[in-house]
Amino acid sequence: MLARAAADFYWMGRYLERTEHTARLLEYQLTRLVDTPADQLALGWRVVYTTLGHPVPQVPTDADEAEVFLIADAYTLAGTLVEDVTNPNSMISCWSRARENARQLRPWLPVRVWTCLNRGFMWIRDCDFARAWAEGPAELALEAIDRLHLLVGVVDAMMSRDDAWRFMELGRLVERLQHQAVLLDTWVRAGQPSDGPRLSWSDLLRVCRAYELYRRRRSIQVRRESAIGFLVRNPELPRSLRFAVHRIEQLLSGIDPRGARYPLAAPHRMAIRLAASVEMDPGDEDQAPGSELESFSVLLRDSRQLHDLIMATYVNYPVERGLPS
Amino acid sequence: MTVSAFLGNGFDDEPRACAAGSGAFADYDLEARFYDEVFQDDGTPRESCRKLVNSLSRASADELATLQEGVARRFVHEGITFTVLGATRMSEHIIPIDCVPRVLTAAEWDHIDRGLRQRLTAMNLFLRDIYHEGYSLRDGVIPHELVLGCPQYRVEMRGLKVPHDVYVAVCGTDVVRTNDGFAVLEDNLRVPSGVSYMLACRTAIKRAFPRLYRAQGVREIARYPEHLYTTLTSLGSWGRDPRVAVLTPGHYNSAYYEHAFLAGEMGAELVEGRDLVVHDAIVYVRTASGLKRIDVIYRRVDDDFLDPVTFRSDSLLGVPGLFNAYRTGNVVIANAPGTGVADDKAVYSYVPRIIRYFLDEEPILANVETHLCREPDGLAYTLDHLEDLVVKEVGGSGGYGMLVGPHSTAAERETYAARLRADPTNFISQPVLDLSRASCFVDGRLEPRHVDVRPFVLRGREDIHISPGGLCRVALRKGSLVVNSSQGGGCKDLWILRD
Repeated sequence: MLARAAADFYWMGRYLERTEHTARLLEYQLTRLVDTPADQLALGWRVVYTTLGHPVPQVPTDADEAEVFLIADAYTLAGTLVEDVTNPNSMISCWSRARENARQLRPWLPVRVWTCLNRGFMWIRDCDFARAWAEGPAELALEAIDRLHLLVGVVDAMMSRDDAWRFMELGRLVERLQHQAVLLDTWVRAGQPSDGPRLSWSDLLRVCRAYELYRRRRSIQVRRESAIGFLVRNPELPRSLRFAVHRIEQLLSGIDPRGARYPLAAPHRMAIRLAASVEMDPGDEDQAPGSELESFSVLLRDSRQLHDLIMATYVNYPVERGLPS
Repeated sequence: MTVSAFLGNGFDDEPRACAAGSGAFADYDLEARFYDEVFQDDGTPRESCRKLVNSLSRASADELATLQEGVARRFVHEGITFTVLGATRMSEHIIPIDCVPRVLTAAEWDHIDRGLRQRLTAMNLFLRDIYHEGYSLRDGVIPHELVLGCPQYRVEMRGLKVPHDVYVAVCGTDVVRTNDGFAVLEDNLRVPSGVSYMLACRTAIKRAFPRLYRAQGVREIARYPEHLYTTLTSLGSWGRDPRVAVLTPGHYNSAYYEHAFLAGEMGAELVEGRDLVVHDAIVYVRTASGLKRIDVIYRRVDDDFLDPVTFRSDSLLGVPGLFNAYRTGNVVIANAPGTGVADDKAVYSYVPRIIRYFLDEEPILANVETHLCREPDGLAYTLDHLEDLVVKEVGGSGGYGMLVGPHSTAAERETYAARLRADPTNFISQPVLDLSRASCFVDGRLEPRHVDVRPFVLRGREDIHISPGGLCRVALRKGSLVVNSSQGGGCKDLWILRD
């Protein structure tokens, strides 16, 4: 696989995952517009924006003003995340970048995958945001999620399990790992005991599409430590940290040109280390509340290092190292 | 009625009111000076087009519009686009496609096929000659200074052994038809483009007219990528499966879709200059698992930008050391550098003489009458008849920088005349051709529009392959003779009948 194409597949996976992550957070927040107290909504926007790496919007503290602000500006706050082309992390920007990556990958990409991605992009590009908002603020996010899931399905059905697919999956899961780590970190910080509004742990599970499984596996009563532990270590949950790192490790094992024999490639070693740390540290129910935060920070730092190692090993390696022996 | 219903079974030949000027063709005006591809002079359909005319006669304008929209939508969704780089942003466009196919008989195609084979054979011999012995220059077949002074003549290629003497492996020749028959308008011997649109048009139109297509007995073109791969790999000898790469300038290039398409269809790598590395005169591609050797490069990058060490030093698209690897024989590059000298518009006028000299045969396909402004008589004639001529820059392409006399204003002609006098060697002129017209669906009506065709010719180690078809370009603006997509042109499918 061409190194540049591997990078394009990897980034395509990352951008698509980022778009979906934004859409899920938006859907959560916009669904709550109708019946959530203003101060809780304001906290929700802060969490959404922090999680997505945006400057946190200024929110009035006075109750009446907050009400006015939230109703009038929810549209603007959502618009920035959906259709603002100047925002590099908006849904349209990420979709557009994924499509640009895909354009360069046409020789490797099944036509149906391209068509599905392209149609999704054209849908969001041509979408009249004001009109979609009038039909129901959360509808647009839901539609975006559906289209992205359709794409995932087409990829699953059409693509061979070769390096092209592996790099795309790898991008999605590295992005997911980083996003989930930031989301958990942000939510835990916002959930620290205080007199002000707090976010519910069941909502965190809902954002991660884990609520139904949690109810079946554990209880309808959601406890803080249990929810965090579930999102960190549950092996069946696609958005748990454990699920992501184990899949990353498997994918890197498949990508390794030496067939995952000793000595393992640097990204593979890093993935194994990450898997061990997820297994051992964060969200352990015996830990004191708040002690997970340091673990999430370490995890985030290590996952960024993993990204750098993937690029250095498979894409930007020095020519001398790549010459056939 | 559903869209598919009007297609009928396509097998019956029941007589219908389908003459030019009546029924669905009510707006179809025949003009004697233009050869009509569909109708004879008396307004009745040509034998080869009878089934097509019958099918179209059954369709309402709305149904044809639905078909046309469906074809265009498919192009958009599948990203069959070309890129236009504006001042501030890049935009993608689809090439306008007309849903009505053009039809040629087996006999007509046979004539074109033989003419193209003859022409490409002669051009390869000519290129070998001017980069080696130069007999044709010595014998005055073509002026010495015209060849050696051509910007596309590459001194680096002199004396260099090209694999199997195949300089031009892929050629796209523009063929037109007038009342006098078929003629070659120009040869594209460097990086001819458009073959992906030819194949995309065929796929789309086959879906639009499935039964008619089957009933007509149309020759297939779908195996072009396989033939291209065979042609490219025939130019070298390897004890293993050779690794082929398509070298593209990148996704900002207007033909990027085609580069990606061909690489994908051939199972080749699609590479940019930055993906290739030359080490010890061997070309490698950077893969995720290290550097891998490349054996054949189908380059879609102009000579100038191929190698900054040998050609333009400011090129960011090329690969340093690539020409050295080529010279050493470690990689095949198709088309060879320096082929552009043979498709220069001034050299074009000498092609009939080149054919006679190298093959001792009369040209099967005629040339269009051409006046070289570098010659005093040619310049004088051109200046005296600017109003009636088409004037082109010798190195121009895409319909840019040309003057179409009959459609120009006095001021435009005056400006152009000044350019001609300032640098006459840079121009040629040709009469305005009465290009043939084919049926097109435009603005909700079936009307005639001017067309040409670019067949694609492949020259391998031992033989020549010509796909039975081509990119049929059409001037969609009424009365326009310019078929280039950059100038309001579109494309349509070309059906070559089996017999």
